[in-house]
Amino acid sequence: MKSSYHAWIAAIRIARRDAWRAKGRSALVLAMIALPIVGVSAADLTTRSAQLSPEQTASRSIGAADARLKDSDLSGPVYQDVEGKTSMPVGGYDKYDPRSETDPKVLTSAIPPGAQSLKDSTAHTKIRTRYGLLETDLREIDAASPLVKGMIELQRGQLPQEAGEVIATSAFLKESGFFVGSEFRARGSDAWYRIVGAYELPSDLNKSEVLAPPGTLLAPLDKAFQAAGVPGVVATDTYLVKVGGDGFTWNMVKALNTKSVQVVSRAVLLDPPAESDVPYIAQQKELGYYNPDNGLPTTELAVLATVVGLAMLEICLLAGPAFAVGARRSRRQLGLVGANGGDRRHIRAIVLSGGLVIGAAAAVTGTVLGVALTLGLRSTLEEYLGARFGGFTFRPLEIFSIALLAVVTGLLAAIAPAVTASRQTVLASLTGRRGTRRANRVLPVIGLLALAAGAAIALYGTASRMGSTVVAGGSAIAELGIVALTPVLVGLFGRLGRWLPLSPRLALRDAVRNRGRTAPAVAAVLAAVAGTVAVATYQHSAEIQARHEYIADLPDGAGVVTIHELGRSKDMPAVREALAQELPLAVRADVDHISYGKPGCERFTGPEGCGRAEIMRPKEQRCPLYEAKDGMDSFSDAEKKALRKDPRCTYNRHSAQFNVVVADEKLMAALAVTDPGAVSALKEGKGVSFDKRNVKDGKVTVRLIDNKDEVYEPGVDPKGEDKVFPVHQTPDTAEGYGLELVLPPTAAKSAGLTTLPFASYFTLDGTATSRQKQRVAARIDQIGVEAPVTIEAGYQAGADITMLALTIFAGLVTIGAAGIATGLAQADAEADLKTLAAVGAPPRVRRTLSGFQCGVVALMGVVLGSAAGILPAVGLRLVQRRETEHLMQMAGDANDKLYVPIAVPWETLGGLLIVVPLGAALLAALVTKSSGAMARREAG
Amino acid sequence: MSIRHGLLALLERGPRYGSQLRTEFESRTGSTWPLNVGQVYTTLARLERDGLVAPGGEDSAGHTLYAITDSGRAELHQWYERPVDRTNPPRDELSIKLAMAVGAPGVDIRAVIQAQRHATIRAMQDYTRLKAQALAAIESGRSRERDDVAWLLVLEQLIFQTEAEARWLDHSESRLVRLSLPADRRAEPEPPQADTDAPAAAAAPEPRAFRTPRG
Amino acid sequence: MSDQQSAPHIPPAPSARPVLQLTQLVRTHGSGATEVHALRGIDLSVYPGELVAVMGPSGSGKSTLLTLAGGLDTPTSGHVIVEGTDITTASRRQLAALRRRSIGYVFQDYNLIPALTAAENVALPRELDGVSARKARASALAALEEMGLGQLADRFPDEMSGGQQQRVAIARALVGDRRLVLADEPTGALDSETGESVLALLRSRCDAGAAGILVTHEPRFAAWADRVVFLRDGSVVDETLRSQADSLLSGQAGR
Repeated sequence: MKSSYHAWIAAIRIARRDAWRAKGRSALVLAMIALPIVGVSAADLTTRSAQLSPEQTASRSIGAADARLKDSDLSGPVYQDVEGKTSMPVGGYDKYDPRSETDPKVLTSAIPPGAQSLKDSTAHTKIRTRYGLLETDLREIDAASPLVKGMIELQRGQLPQEAGEVIATSAFLKESGFFVGSEFRARGSDAWYRIVGAYELPSDLNKSEVLAPPGTLLAPLDKAFQAAGVPGVVATDTYLVKVGGDGFTWNMVKALNTKSVQVVSRAVLLDPPAESDVPYIAQQKELGYYNPDNGLPTTELAVLATVVGLAMLEICLLAGPAFAVGARRSRRQLGLVGANGGDRRHIRAIVLSGGLVIGAAAAVTGTVLGVALTLGLRSTLEEYLGARFGGFTFRPLEIFSIALLAVVTGLLAAIAPAVTASRQTVLASLTGRRGTRRANRVLPVIGLLALAAGAAIALYGTASRMGSTVVAGGSAIAELGIVALTPVLVGLFGRLGRWLPLSPRLALRDAVRNRGRTAPAVAAVLAAVAGTVAVATYQHSAEIQARHEYIADLPDGAGVVTIHELGRSKDMPAVREALAQELPLAVRADVDHISYGKPGCERFTGPEGCGRAEIMRPKEQRCPLYEAKDGMDSFSDAEKKALRKDPRCTYNRHSAQFNVVVADEKLMAALAVTDPGAVSALKEGKGVSFDKRNVKDGKVTVRLIDNKDEVYEPGVDPKGEDKVFPVHQTPDTAEGYGLELVLPPTAAKSAGLTTLPFASYFTLDGTATSRQKQRVAARIDQIGVEAPVTIEAGYQAGADITMLALTIFAGLVTIGAAGIATGLAQADAEADLKTLAAVGAPPRVRRTLSGFQCGVVALMGVVLGSAAGILPAVGLRLVQRRETEHLMQMAGDANDKLYVPIAVPWETLGGLLIVVPLGAALLAALVTKSSGAMARREAG
Repeated sequence: MSIRHGLLALLERGPRYGSQLRTEFESRTGSTWPLNVGQVYTTLARLERDGLVAPGGEDSAGHTLYAITDSGRAELHQWYERPVDRTNPPRDELSIKLAMAVGAPGVDIRAVIQAQRHATIRAMQDYTRLKAQALAAIESGRSRERDDVAWLLVLEQLIFQTEAEARWLDHSESRLVRLSLPADRRAEPEPPQADTDAPAAAAAPEPRAFRTPRG
Repeated sequence: MSDQQSAPHIPPAPSARPVLQLTQLVRTHGSGATEVHALRGIDLSVYPGELVAVMGPSGSGKSTLLTLAGGLDTPTSGHVIVEGTDITTASRRQLAALRRRSIGYVFQDYNLIPALTAAENVALPRELDGVSARKARASALAALEEMGLGQLADRFPDEMSGGQQQRVAIARALVGDRRLVLADEPTGALDSETGESVLALLRSRCDAGAAGILVTHEPRFAAWADRVVFLRDGSVVDETLRSQADSLLSGQAGR
């Protein structure tokens, strides 16, 4: 053991000096290995630095206070988690009665007597900025209080002293275009506020927030909004409390929980109670919700490991040839070591040491650069993450492990060359002859086995329920098998040489003869291209499927503008005006919805006195699946299956914000409904129904339901006032695009319904240009309301940055790998080129030859990679087909709807197969000098 | 070989008597050209006759001392400047022997050559051994340096001359082998020499043959 | 000239064991029609203190002899015994160990590993053998010093002349306990004078007790050997014996 240690020392010394002698090659390999190390070490350092200590977490969320008391928004006693982030009713939500009253005074009464406390109120609203509207958080707190220390950090200016003065977060200033000294107004208010300072929330740098002294912002705004008839400002109050002594103990927290108060306590954060002492966790476990937080989920870990592994493989494949050439260059030297008593172990050790030395250098360079980068870009990183680092946390063990990864990569890359070098007999090494070199028979066999096994696993995955993970794993194994088979496959390519003209033939022969350096490069290209082709094929197939499954929101070319804030329907006329002015409208159908309750009500969540209008479908025409008392469980699988096919149970594939709307006959034109009966019905004051299941005896019932009458049981209808309308039922060919009932304004009026404008459907003369669309959007922003305009334009493939990035990556790897192989081939071929020149070859032969060498490597890799990449894609698609089939069977849907195509993206493939090798070849030819400057390199 | 000029060269450093000249001559040229006292005195007499040396008194032991004259000095310098005469190559027994052996019935010329080579190399070994001793002596600095250096040069002349002979023997042998080849080839299917040359070299090549220039 | 053929060969002391002993060594390359006999039954022993030169035309089997003697190649039949060990039956690993401990090679050129200094080159076999770097360096320095090369210790091969490199190679061949030098045309790439200095060193090492085989085609260099073996077509055709130059000299001039 000891003796081999000393031998290694000698080997490392030789390797170190050799690396120094061949600076160019070493630097290249070092850069390749170090680059990901820079990234990973920087990422590790950033992650670790971004993790806060409990003390830091506490002071960022509750400042210098001992606790923050917060209403749980639940009634009755609650259990809370240790951090005070969430709470749940004692006994769980099943037994919780939301209707019981909550006490608004609960918080103030919860503050321990004699404790110092500070009110912290937050709300949000929209602020008029220089560009439009900005959703902003509002906060009222006494920023001068010592309790907020650590929560907010004033960066510029001063604290707000009086009403009308505020400070704003840097994020707010950036997004709004304001600066310290600017004045602004909230939408719907005439009060001006002046920004007197900028601050930041250390753990939420990207939050737009405005902070004002207590009582100067929220209440006045609320008042103004209420007066204007728009929804007011709802403030959430919390209290920062300082009690002194031991602070807020867990027992005090639990005591307050019984009063439905949720607490963030410094003492608890710093010294968390045992899990058994947390009733919240106990109850979660009991209810079966609890999943302990044990770091990364295994799937993500597996994916991470695979990605890191593949990246290392890629680097090894790229760096391998460099080591191979190094070993070849120093063959005589290795022969001398052999003559001086170095046996195979020693020769291997020397070549491996090359990897070790470069790996170690890359480890040091990479981690140092990573750390330096993190330090240098700290503020940028913090802004990107949206939180200040808790400190600069350097975990030596983790950084060391990352550095080790570089060393391992270097070693792995040097393994194959080391084994090859050690197989040479000393005599052959010394005399520079190849000797009788047996091709490695083991590797292709292993490759073939891996390929077969991988393919089998993938196939099994497609057939079994195991699904995509198995397919991906199998494909990865199969791909590794192909990588191992590369030398053999490259050999097969050599047979094509016979039919080629001189330069490409020379290049191909050279590549095939020097498999040691060609194969890894080809394998690197292969791996990258295979990945790209796999993703491309998968995505292309998925896109075809998506196009097939696309559901249009509106008839082609038609559009709609919908107000998203129902409380601001008074702005709708202005929106419609803007629409009419900026777009070439053919038809504009203004649509109202039925409003229940006072203005500013929310449909489902508003308080009492708010509510909604709902179509009451006749009981016998409802789907029994949703009406049974116990829901789905009341039916057997067969019954379910049968019911799925029942016309009563089909579902509308479109959806709309309101299924009952009030509009005139122009809507029919906008929706491209050609049924003349529908138009005339609306003209006559009759409704139009798009769903015949709602109609009974030519009539549809609409019930007005108050939120307080809401029921949550299947089969039971909430109570409310019914309005019955005679309707015209459209034929099945007419499509309502989610609308089920259209009432003419006259009918709505006569039924005593309140209607509010909320949308306009329209069709265009021709099409709208991008500029027109932008102008409309800008006008609507100016109005100060959220009302997006959409125009149906059929299926739009998402601009896919992944595909582009992958293709570029594959291209770069291809060019890089082919380039490295070419560079090495060039250095090797110097003698041949001299001979060529001597027999009268023109100088450009050097160029064309290097171009073809590069092209040959790229082409072989791309061809093999394309073939290898289609396999996993097809496998994954098959899995999807199976899964879809399975889901549809479960749901009782008919199989004839199944459409999971497998489509090869010929454009991408063509690009990879032709453009990339061609580009690589041209690039190599371009950068090669016509007359040899390579000779200098050879010394290195 | 000129004993005349050798003695003149010795006398140039100062008057010497006969047996002293003989000792010095031998120490400078080693045992290469053994002289007897008679030869020395005969030569001195001729030199005196030609006016190149003159007897110049006696030393304390009564030996007659000889000194170089001015014309003797001139002759000596002329000798140094003149290249060695090659117009009459010395008759060499070896070349005559080989010339006779070619085609002589019952004589294996390769054996003749090998026997001679054996002797030649053997002689070289001897010379080299002596040279090694001379080198050691010079390096140790313990002897009369000038004499050792002179001795060394003489030895090396002999070595190179012998080497030339050895090389000539090698060359003759391979030339004879090549000339005899056509006959051999007709006689037996497997030619011995030239054929073993190539594949053997391929299997265990001479480094020189496969050394590729670097850089 | 005296009759050298009759000069008696001085046998080594009977107690001395040959450092290298080749018996009936046969090496055949290929088989059948392409069969080539590189060596056809060679017997040769080299004793401590003896330098044996091997001469012969190209293809006579000189280099094959050397590779077999060093265990770089395996004979078809016959035995190679180094320091009493028959290496023909040794494993590859044992052979490597033997080369580390007993056999030193000197080739025509590029003998030194360019990445290592002279001292490190000399220390290499010992380091490979597991001796600590410090100890290996000490013995390397000692070896260099002994051969008058101490001033070269920290130079890289690039910074040395060809002759210096060859001398360092000889130092490496004989570092530690190694007693057998196998030199394959060590002067081939050198000029006459430099080549001589290399041979002088080799000679002096042999005089100090090492054993050496020198393959050369230059008679002048072969003459440095105690014995010259002539090879032709894989067989020893002749052998000069150790001369008595001393007596030759002492027989003359009476000094």
